[in-house]
Amino acid sequence: MEEIKKGGLVDLFDLKNVDIHIGEIVDEGEEEEEWEPMGPHPMPRMATLRDWDFKLLNRYKPFYAPVCDMCCLCTYGKCDLSGNKKGACGIKMDAQQGRMVLLACLVGCSAHCGHGRHLLHDMINKFGRNVPIDFGPEVDIEAPLTRLVCGIKPKTIGDYEQVFSYVEEQIVQLTDALHTGQEGSYMDFESKALHMGMLDSLNKEAADIIQIACYKMPTSLPGGGPDVPLVDVGIGTMNTDNAVIIVIGHNVPPAADIGVYLTENDLEDKVDLGGICCTSIDTTRVYHKAKVTAALGRQLRVLRAGIADVVVIDEQCIRADVLELCQRVHSPMIATNDKAMHGLVDRTDDDPDKIVDDLVSGRVPGVIILEPDQVGEVAVRTALEMDKKRRSLKFILSDDEFKYYVNDCVLCGSCTLACPNGLYIGEANKSAAAGNIKPLADLFDICVGCGRCEQVCKKHIPIVDMMTKAAYPQLKEEKGRMRVGRGPIWDSEIRVVGAPIVLGTIPGIIAPIGCGNYPNGTKDAWLIVKEFAERNYIVTLTGCMAIDCALWKDEDGKTLYEKHHGGFDGGGVLNIGSCVSNAHIHDAAIKVASIFAGRPLRGNYEEIADYILSRVGACGVAWGAMSQKAASIATGFNRLGVPAVVGPHGVKYRRAFMSRPDIKEDWKLIDASDGSDVYVEPGPQDLLVACETVEEALPMMAKLCFRPSDTDRGRSVKLTHYIDLNLKYLHTYPSDWHLFVRAASDLPIATRNELLKKLEDERDWKIDWKKKRIEEGPIRAYNPSFNPTNLERLIRGKK
Amino acid sequence: MGIEIPFDVATIAGPEVGGVAPPEVIGSYISSAKRPLLVVGSELLRDEFFIDIAIELGKKGIPIAATGHSIRGFVEKGYTENIYYYNLHELTNCLRDPNWEGLDGAGNYDFVIFYGIIYYYASQMLSCLKNFATEPLMRTVSIDRYYHPNARMSFTNIMPRMEEEYKAMLKEFVSSTKR
Ligand code: SF4
Ligand code: SF4
Ligand code: SF4
Repeated sequence: MEEIKKGGLVDLFDLKNVDIHIGEIVDEGEEEEEWEPMGPHPMPRMATLRDWDFKLLNRYKPFYAPVCDMCCLCTYGKCDLSGNKKGACGIKMDAQQGRMVLLACLVGCSAHCGHGRHLLHDMINKFGRNVPIDFGPEVDIEAPLTRLVCGIKPKTIGDYEQVFSYVEEQIVQLTDALHTGQEGSYMDFESKALHMGMLDSLNKEAADIIQIACYKMPTSLPGGGPDVPLVDVGIGTMNTDNAVIIVIGHNVPPAADIGVYLTENDLEDKVDLGGICCTSIDTTRVYHKAKVTAALGRQLRVLRAGIADVVVIDEQCIRADVLELCQRVHSPMIATNDKAMHGLVDRTDDDPDKIVDDLVSGRVPGVIILEPDQVGEVAVRTALEMDKKRRSLKFILSDDEFKYYVNDCVLCGSCTLACPNGLYIGEANKSAAAGNIKPLADLFDICVGCGRCEQVCKKHIPIVDMMTKAAYPQLKEEKGRMRVGRGPIWDSEIRVVGAPIVLGTIPGIIAPIGCGNYPNGTKDAWLIVKEFAERNYIVTLTGCMAIDCALWKDEDGKTLYEKHHGGFDGGGVLNIGSCVSNAHIHDAAIKVASIFAGRPLRGNYEEIADYILSRVGACGVAWGAMSQKAASIATGFNRLGVPAVVGPHGVKYRRAFMSRPDIKEDWKLIDASDGSDVYVEPGPQDLLVACETVEEALPMMAKLCFRPSDTDRGRSVKLTHYIDLNLKYLHTYPSDWHLFVRAASDLPIATRNELLKKLEDERDWKIDWKKKRIEEGPIRAYNPSFNPTNLERLIRGKK
Repeated sequence: MGIEIPFDVATIAGPEVGGVAPPEVIGSYISSAKRPLLVVGSELLRDEFFIDIAIELGKKGIPIAATGHSIRGFVEKGYTENIYYYNLHELTNCLRDPNWEGLDGAGNYDFVIFYGIIYYYASQMLSCLKNFATEPLMRTVSIDRYYHPNARMSFTNIMPRMEEEYKAMLKEFVSSTKR
């Protein structure tokens, strides 16, 4: 390479045999093949996709419900912003809310980026940079988001170094915008949040691709995709006659090392490896004898129940008091990640004999081991020793203790006021005191396991343990089955379903994702999946909802994973994997645009998002969304044009994106075929909206699958489900179903006459009954060649 | 008005907090409204009595927005006049806009009564209205069994053992609401 000259400026004409990439310089010999012409926006910066964001934000105007009316971020404050007042720095309440949303997305995005980068370091250390990214014969487009956002087609895991460098730089710039005296517009805060969400989706894809490639997790090789095996789920599946290790968090390498140690030392039948949250899901992708003990909502209770002879934590979603909880039940703890060290001593590279001895003797409550490949031996040997020591210990309350406490409760109600779900615990105690433990047992599943109640009980009643005791007979029988996380959707599957999805005859993709902060227990997760899978939607699950839905069975004793196929096709119930795996749901939507519609991917985010928004009837549901990651995940889906429904706790994210179907101008699209303006029905009506109950959420999700591109046949299928779900759960017709009718052929054949009559009687629409045609009434007529877009640059010909 | 702890203790948003008021005070406060709206949620479904109270208010000419899946309770009782299903998030999104044409096309409301809605969901929507539905000012009250600092007025926290007293308060509230 030529020397840099001219006072540090590079003269491009003087540079020979080099190709400049962002973040690195590559010799011609390694030059990336021209796999697709570069699109307009490779590695977009904060403002690059702002126009697209504003298109979204003008239709789906940010809605704010402040959790706190004040700001205390600088020493001018506290500032009272109530009533949309300005703080001392000049920021108004709405912009401050946008700022808080950006902050939440920053934390979520950083968690995935930090996790991905950490994983990449460990994997490069272990396997080198050249681990190929190859997902088998059925997946050619193996990294759609990376291609779309970065314009890069990664071939080996080492290629992800530049992806993380890009994201990290963007995160720093976006964080800068949070400082006092920077951004002042809520719209721009939201545009930045959308950017953060997009980066977050990229992180997730990167992290999952790296772990799939290195650990040979399921892909399209035999035994992958629809054919992934089933694994045990539930507290009742843990064999406490064995030593038990519980892993908690999101970063799989330490848990994977435990699996390797168990296999190599023939200990698979002597030690149960279970887990909580996403690490457990990913552990089953590398070690099929692993079990998923519980989702996030049960963490406190699994730990308190004392079933773990060793607890291994890695990162994210671990209780901050995990060490105290472990000590209480004499479970030694191993921390494996520098982001969650809990005040312990770092024993990485120390002699395993010494570490095991210190843990087993109780000299130390836990240790830190930052090298994942050193964790397996220590965890397993400690678990085997602790199992012997802990065998006689009992952590479930005795009958006498239980009786004492229920009688001691004075029904003061302090616990109820402390409980996020407002559970009436005192009343349940009183029932139990009178001999009926069912109300207390029933609270177990609705409780989100936070422990706030116990701290305020003046009678020191161990409320969490009381619920566990009451529900114990059911818990022992909690034995579900779940598909192993399958990772990528295959290109061959997209080829089959791309058309039915866009035309609407597969009524939609429903993506239950995220945490377990449910309003009314885990069964809602099951109901959501069941209702849509039985209606031939494609149901793609990740994270805690993938776990929680596996806890419930139908009358034949089968879970939904056992009842439904695991292919990306109508009626499928797919466990995609952990939270990072939900990037494959973005990827499936992107691949519909790319494979089915032939839209170019490379650096072409805006066009693909525009396509998805108008054509791909997908809807996420984060029924128990809790974390900042869930905020950034949803925001990432939203920028790509995919709406999401959250449970009622989701309103505490402060911001929603909802449209106003009554404002006609907000629903003006362009027909790309001729450039004409077309006013359309509200599809999708919202990008982020909360429902109060699952009964309300089910029809809402069906509604959010309408798209302007639906063919009449597809629209009639979607309308059938929308109306039917309303009748089933709300006991009435939706008040807005007529908005989605463009022609008589949009109406389901079986009920067409009845619906036409309703339109005539209730809406004054003009119907030609002889021809069975709608003459007057709809927002627009059905036009099968309508080519909807929000982007003027995509107009192909002028009228 | 007295001082009370929010039903979810940490729900203290800032300096601007509403007060606790007895049913007859809230009832007479509503009586001054030009265009009141009753917003009901799915907690009504736990007892027919609560639906009946809403219907009584409806029959006084107050339109009802039935959120969550509460509409069920009204359909089952054959009450379909002046009642509309609405998602609470979407409804609040409309309420915050002074130019919204309302459920009947006659314009936005000046007074909103929350009733039968999950505490934290209602609290957040009341927060939106408190902070953003200010020009003109939208007045908000809750007649749930919870103290709601984000509403201008609400009842005190009422535990299940006081259910009969709560029911009596609702009856008192209905009779003191004059339209
Ligand atoms: S950042 Fe602005 S609103 Fe926040 S405390 Fe400082 S001056 Fe007040
Ligand atoms: S642990 Fe359960 S019962 Fe206790 S406050 Fe938390 S959610 Fe409520
Ligand atoms: S705080 Fe304790 S004493 Fe009071 S009602 Fe709850 S469990 Fe009973």
